Amino acid sequence: MKIRELVKQDPGFQYVIDSMELMSSAGRRAMLDTDFFVDPGALEAEWNRSDSAIDATLDSGNRRAYNDLRHCLMQLHDLQGTLAALASHTTLNEVELFEIKNLALLAGKASTAIASLGLAEALPMPVVADVFALLDPDRTGIANFYIYDSYDPRLAPLRRELRSLQEHEGDPLRIGELLAEQNDIQNSVCTALSDRLLPFCHDLSTVMEQMAYADFLLAKAELSLRWHLVRPRLGDHTAFTALFNPRLRDNNERLGLRYQPVDIDVASGVTLVTGANMAGKTVLLKTIGTAQLMAQCGMRVPAEAAVLMPVEGVVASIGDEQNEMNGLSSYASEIIKISDILQRMRRERLLVLIDEPARTTNPVEGKALVQAIIKLMEPMSSVTLITTHYGQLGSRCRRLRVRGFVEDMADVPLTPQNINRFIDYSLAEDTGDDVPHEALRIAAILGCDEELISLAHSNINQ
Amino acid sequence: MPFVRDILNYRSLSIVGLDKNTGKTVCLNYILRRLNSLGIPVGVTSIGVDGEQVDSVFATAKPEITLYEGMRFITSEQHYLKRQLLSVLEHVDSRRTALGPLVTARVLLRGKALLSGAATTGVLRDQIQLLDSMGSRLAIVDGALSRLSLASPTVTEAMVLATGAAVSASVKQLVARTLFQYRLICLDEVDRDLRPRLSTIESGLWGIDDDGQPHDLGIASVFLIGRSDTDLLRYGTTLFAAGAVSDRLLRTLAAKAKGITLIARDFTKLFISPEAYNDFLRRDGRLMVLQRTRLIAVTLNPTSPQGFVLDSDATCHALADALQTPVYDVMKINPPQ
Repeated sequence: MKIRELVKQDPGFQYVIDSMELMSSAGRRAMLDTDFFVDPGALEAEWNRSDSAIDATLDSGNRRAYNDLRHCLMQLHDLQGTLAALASHTTLNEVELFEIKNLALLAGKASTAIASLGLAEALPMPVVADVFALLDPDRTGIANFYIYDSYDPRLAPLRRELRSLQEHEGDPLRIGELLAEQNDIQNSVCTALSDRLLPFCHDLSTVMEQMAYADFLLAKAELSLRWHLVRPRLGDHTAFTALFNPRLRDNNERLGLRYQPVDIDVASGVTLVTGANMAGKTVLLKTIGTAQLMAQCGMRVPAEAAVLMPVEGVVASIGDEQNEMNGLSSYASEIIKISDILQRMRRERLLVLIDEPARTTNPVEGKALVQAIIKLMEPMSSVTLITTHYGQLGSRCRRLRVRGFVEDMADVPLTPQNINRFIDYSLAEDTGDDVPHEALRIAAILGCDEELISLAHSNINQ
Repeated sequence: MPFVRDILNYRSLSIVGLDKNTGKTVCLNYILRRLNSLGIPVGVTSIGVDGEQVDSVFATAKPEITLYEGMRFITSEQHYLKRQLLSVLEHVDSRRTALGPLVTARVLLRGKALLSGAATTGVLRDQIQLLDSMGSRLAIVDGALSRLSLASPTVTEAMVLATGAAVSASVKQLVARTLFQYRLICLDEVDRDLRPRLSTIESGLWGIDDDGQPHDLGIASVFLIGRSDTDLLRYGTTLFAAGAVSDRLLRTLAAKAKGITLIARDFTKLFISPEAYNDFLRRDGRLMVLQRTRLIAVTLNPTSPQGFVLDSDATCHALADALQTPVYDVMKINPPQ
């Protein structure tokens, strides 16, 4: 799986990718084509390259080289199409040759900057000086390009005659002839140049892709520093200290709301997450999913410290999956999804995130389904997180409870608008088999219909 | 030679045709030839696709643009490859158009070229900036069919208006249509101290109080104005329309009160008919603009694409009388080659 597909599965990860400030469309393409790393060695290597980009960004002594590199990347054009045409023996036109010359010039400048930033190992760049020399026969040293007189001995006399005729408003027929002849010579020069460029095709592709990748690396480094992300270390479980959801934290900051990072530590098997409504269980699941995707796409993660167990994929059943176009109800699409996840878990080690399974069907069968899901998933190697409001499940698995609503947490009167300040989002190990019963209390705080709430209370007491 | 000296007071110039086949390209060729003889480094580009060898609407022969040594031009890759001149490529834009990326080149040996350019005024502004940064003293933008937006003073500082027999076969109608557009181009500007208060407003209809302070009248789009029963005149009879001005807005305002002053951003935001404007004027209304485009000249192409030719002298005189400004026959100042 590539980032291109992963962002479609997870809006939180999409937000992360959208927050990356790339300088070129080639860089953006390189980013979207980045793989989800499963192999721990490859993952460490990618983290190492990202770290060297962070070091280069932070090294104030190298400001100039850093700015030079950025300046090169800003001018980078995506020449994938042109290089493919060249490779298949197509004659490049003047504009395409200009683009190739420009790429060779940029590659030379970028290589120098990359070397002085200490990034040569992370970004090996082939030397393409011969390409530039070929397209700069008059040794101007600049990117400008046309079919220079020196490419063909017939050009200089032809152009001299043309100039004299144009300036003295000479015979239009002769001017036409000369223009056609010039055109033919220029075309044959383009063909000859394309032939001579053919052996450099691979190196040109490599420098372009390396510069595109450099753009992605610098953007990763910039985001890591802007968001204070941390490099995880590999382990046999996944643990985050002060994990935060970038999108929600930014949103809360904009609205002037408090944001509370949480600590969590999970391993293979099922971890059941319980907690009152509004306690952030769903957000917790989404955040862990996004963090795992970030990490395994070679990025740092939104936490103060992190240990990561690599998985083969992140799968989730979160939110209303109702797909009316397929004629499926929310229950139907959910249970099909969970069944698919289970099938995959038999073959792969995944991070599995299931939010309140079977909540839209009757509680008797719903509870039975949740018990079955836990029993089947618990012994598997995947890391599974399941949130639920069902109590007394009697299942054997680890339980975490979001501490949730704390009435005296803030010293202001409680209102529906500031209820967020009275919730402790942190997690506690839970040994009991029950779930919090705070639905009616929260409904009352939210100012819901009093008759509704009191009737519900009396129903419980009956 | 007429009006070319005036152009040199500006950094950017648009050539806008009141209709297709009003002689824009002939006019541009005249200006380029004159600027070349004065030795002025200019840059030329276009909005949209134009400069086709054969006019795509009427299939009449269309003069190409002649560019001289040292001039810069921006066109699409496909048109660049068809040029009949020698030039050196200096820049290729990363954005692509239907005809490939926009390229910038400097002419080494004069000749003819086809111009195509940015599809939006935003990109056009970038291109003008690029020409400027490369050392062009003046950027000239060749307009395309019904693309008035490039003449906005936010894009180009000055303009030449091209009119001609293509607009109407009747001299009376031609004069009336040209005069109406001319009056809109020449609308008075607001006071200097009012301009900065309004220029940052991006949308909506605003009432301006006696102290010159703008207040949002809470109308998101002036196209919805008919349905609103808000008191539009609660801050006084001076209003600012940040977006487009339509006939409906003019008529609604004329119906509310006499003596209303309506301020538009510039003349390219006026999408109004002569009838609605005249009704507005009869109610003592006044249209003004935040920023006025400098109109350098009006040119006439007496030949219509269908082939008939107006009496050049008589038409020029009729236009000059109505507009109270000189009008030039492009065919006379630039005889067809």
